[in-house]
Amino acid sequence: MNKLTKSMVRLGTLVFVGTLFMAADHIDAPSSMGTTADIADFFAFEPLAGSDNTVFVVDLQSDVLPDLAYGTFDEDVLTEINIDLDDDLVEDLVIQAIPRDGRMYFFGPAAPSQTGLNGQVLMDFPLGDVEISGTTAIVENTDNGVSLFAGPRQDPFFFDFFQFNAVIDPDVNSAPQGFLPPDEAQDTFDGANTISIVVEVPNSLLGTPTATNALGLTVYNTWVTTNRKQ
Amino acid sequence: MIRYTIKYVLLVFVLVGFATACSNDDEAMMDDDMMMDDDMMGMDPDFSGTFAQVDFMGRPGINTVLSADGSIKDAHNMAIPSEMTATFQADFEARLEQYHDVYAMKLGLDPADVDYENNILGLDATTLTTVLSADVLEVAPDLPTTYFDPGTDADNDGRILVPDGDEVALTGRKLSDDIIDISLILLFGGMEGDRFSGQDLDNDGMADLPRLTSDGVGLTADILMTFPYVGDPE
Repeated sequence: MNKLTKSMVRLGTLVFVGTLFMAADHIDAPSSMGTTADIADFFAFEPLAGSDNTVFVVDLQSDVLPDLAYGTFDEDVLTEINIDLDDDLVEDLVIQAIPRDGRMYFFGPAAPSQTGLNGQVLMDFPLGDVEISGTTAIVENTDNGVSLFAGPRQDPFFFDFFQFNAVIDPDVNSAPQGFLPPDEAQDTFDGANTISIVVEVPNSLLGTPTATNALGLTVYNTWVTTNRKQ
Repeated sequence: MIRYTIKYVLLVFVLVGFATACSNDDEAMMDDDMMMDDDMMGMDPDFSGTFAQVDFMGRPGINTVLSADGSIKDAHNMAIPSEMTATFQADFEARLEQYHDVYAMKLGLDPADVDYENNILGLDATTLTTVLSADVLEVAPDLPTTYFDPGTDADNDGRILVPDGDEVALTGRKLSDDIIDISLILLFGGMEGDRFSGQDLDNDGMADLPRLTSDGVGLTADILMTFPYVGDPE
């Protein structure tokens, strides 16, 4: 019995936990796990110190577990990066990405036609499009300073997932010492791949936020959704 | 008045973005025409229809760590941030206490005696789960990005993890940020960030408390200095 199978069997004994844990968002819920709309991860960052751009990385799917779907974008799935500027936790702007015939098309940043759980592609606000990459990155740089990418990448998330499941197992004999020291711990995601959508946008296209975080720093509130065509 | 000003500013940005995107699209059309692709064939992509939310993510690990079961996780993925605190905060707080109960039992203690303690940000369980249940990733446009950087103990109180003015936190998430360790510290680390960190209390060379504030691993994927920043697939 291999390591993965042993862990899966042990997971079946959980009392408090009950369901498979996976992070950061990888296969987090029964309805989305393993589907082409499964969000694996979301990053948002300043690419270099002092830059006036913001980078958004959305990872869909991941082959961290061998039985997961991985490798192709679904033309029925619209990925949407949501940006709230005024701290009401309602999206003021969205950036959309949707694949068609080997290319990823981007729209926005623009106000959505409606907020909430349903929406449409903002066809009046094209941002650009890029050929979906193979193993070598193909990048599109637009005249307004936007960079676009879509394709397979390494899954950058790192976590000792198997030890975590032992840690939260309520069996008193399971990992009573907690996590492993660095020389024994293993990154379960080492070697895993994901399919990424990456967009770098000048902050001037995103508007001026008035929202603040818990430390009083001015921020965009951001989140990502996947949305399936009805 | 402020609200109108914000809307006006937004409108200007949207219009600028639209104008720029249009001019860019014109260039793209020229390229496309040269290549005799879909535009020439009368087969513009069809983006019509309504799309309904099926998955959601803000901060890393929130739904996966703090939602207790599959039905809550599914509900979270079908929720919108403005309604999340009302819907999920109580469940998240209960879940946080369940994790402490698990380790109380492993330590041979009464679960009622081992509870969450206020963390390095000084947040009690209700406040922490209120903050986390509004599940959005904050990104500062004008500050260095870090999920949490403890700073340098500017006030020399010996507690570098406790905010004292020089730390930067919750300004986004870099590819290299160790969000699992940070989350573990916030959930299990107590006020000093090291409440359960494998301490050897009786100096016998053996840990007496579990190691719950770090999973012991760091970044293994390749990170690039230039766009798209994430390494080629393996």
